[in-house]
Amino acid sequence: MWGSWSFRLSTCAAALTAGFALAQGAPLVSGPGVGLVTAKCGTCHDVTHITRSKLTRDEWTDNFENMVKRGMPRPSEDETRIILDYLTAYYGPRPPPPAAPDTLAAAAAGASGIDPTQGVGRILSAGGCTACHAVDKPLVGPSFDAVAARYRGDAAATAKLSAKIRHGGAGVWGPTPMPPNAVLSDREVQQIVEWVLARN
Amino acid sequence: MSSDRPPLPDAARRRFLEGLGAGGALALLGNAPLTREALAQAAPAKPEPVVPGTIANAAVLAEKDMTVFQVHSERPLTGSVPAEAHDFDVTPSNRMFVRNNLLTPDIDAGQHRLRVVGLVDKELSFGVEELKRAFPNVSTQAMMECAGAGRTAFTPTPRGTPWSPTGGMGCPKWTGVRLRDVLAAAGVKSGARHVAGQGGDPGTVATAAPVIRSIPLSKAEEEHTLIAWAMNDAPLPKVHGFPLRLVVPGWVGSASTKWLHTLSVLDGPFKGTYMDDSYRIPKWPVAPGDKMPPDAIVTEAWPIKSMITHPAPNQKVPAGRRLTVRGKAWVGEGSVARVEISTDEGVSWQRARLGPRGDKYAWRSFAFDFEPERFGYTTFLARAWDDQGNAQPMVSPWNPLGYFWNGVHRVGVLVVPA
Repeated sequence: MWGSWSFRLSTCAAALTAGFALAQGAPLVSGPGVGLVTAKCGTCHDVTHITRSKLTRDEWTDNFENMVKRGMPRPSEDETRIILDYLTAYYGPRPPPPAAPDTLAAAAAGASGIDPTQGVGRILSAGGCTACHAVDKPLVGPSFDAVAARYRGDAAATAKLSAKIRHGGAGVWGPTPMPPNAVLSDREVQQIVEWVLARN
Repeated sequence: MSSDRPPLPDAARRRFLEGLGAGGALALLGNAPLTREALAQAAPAKPEPVVPGTIANAAVLAEKDMTVFQVHSERPLTGSVPAEAHDFDVTPSNRMFVRNNLLTPDIDAGQHRLRVVGLVDKELSFGVEELKRAFPNVSTQAMMECAGAGRTAFTPTPRGTPWSPTGGMGCPKWTGVRLRDVLAAAGVKSGARHVAGQGGDPGTVATAAPVIRSIPLSKAEEEHTLIAWAMNDAPLPKVHGFPLRLVVPGWVGSASTKWLHTLSVLDGPFKGTYMDDSYRIPKWPVAPGDKMPPDAIVTEAWPIKSMITHPAPNQKVPAGRRLTVRGKAWVGEGSVARVEISTDEGVSWQRARLGPRGDKYAWRSFAFDFEPERFGYTTFLARAWDDQGNAQPMVSPWNPLGYFWNGVHRVGVLVVPA
């Protein structure tokens, strides 16, 4: 009777992930991968849990696996490597390298196929969308291409998708719910919907 | 295709969006304890973002005495008061420690149900008021202590909430019904071994693992194990589990499920991350820095422990005037037999006076009179013994997750001319 996530899913208000990530971004030292680490880790817990630590790669790996067990959707292999490289370099047992630009921001788009620094990618990343959606393959949620295909020719598509992003929902693609999004402005939601539907 | 989540009210959404601008000012303080002064300096100009259906940290902390309450992390919210702020017989609610695993839910007590399911003859469901009427109401003062309390005293410091050696515990008065009465009403089937509590705290992401912990049936049926709705004669504060929580006295805090909505009677320990990955210690001590061995066991009762609540560390004490050292001692199961004080770094020990024996799982006060005979820095060490002959060690066995620190508490003062 405990086997499913349904208890949690039915009560969880999961909307505000990206907002927290943004709000907690400052404390991490800038370096290659900092954006990805902030998004993946800072979504659920404040990053003081990172900044107060000095751990070996093995220990960070252990922590990473523990977070997966606590419910973090497992990042891709590339993302995992970027995250562990960053944590070990800047919060490891050795003196950290100097702060540096996040040169891996684009690469960190990783599984989603979205460049978080460019165009609508900035909105998708800030809105937390790319945590579950990729351009052309299913992750936690359906790909943007699949969404576009489903709503092809649907005159009400814009209204339906806007409402879905804003208020969340479940059942169209399976039981996993999509959380409501309170981070994005109406204008940003509209830009996302236009971009998705333009993929047809 | 429907959502069971209502859209965010405009006001809530606006608050959240404004909160983003605050830039997590609290987090910028890093590891420093957040006192009222620090909070005032770092106070975000705008409200913090709040997940719908949850309580803002600011609302939780408004009920705490921020002159002494130290916040260790915002998400999840954790915090407690230092030893010298524990100089009370009963821990006041505004000084009770906070250790959330996820967010603080905002539950409507009128709608809340407690279900009893699993290996029972008859599954039951109660509203809060129904539960109060259905069984005898009992009160008891009892220890609650996070398994990781004292973690920062270990070397190397394990990961996790950086509790001070005496952080992360308190001993308030609880009121509720006995868990065993509720289990008896449901009828526990033969073969039942464990009882699991599940709380209604949500995570930031929908995939967050639910917080579920089970305890052996023997502890569940102990008469002081409660389903509580009150702390210190007032309804539970929201952060402490409103409207219902388990109180599993003397055991690690994670056993005392907050926001309790489901009790499940099982044929063995619940399998889940809060049983199998967290809240475990090696069966046999490991070398400091080692990994968790496969034969780890679930943490249960706290070993014997004590703390000095007066004087405060580094207080100036006038020479030639009697100083009464005060403190608390407790043990997860059993009773406190004696407390000893050393004023020479453990070379010799003298007995402290024990206060009256209170409720079975309450801490016990102790006092020790001291006449400073020389100027300068003077230390007090407190060491408690339980009725089984166990005493506090100088250094507790290191373990990978930093649980069960119960090393002797040491407080130094400065003796100055009167």
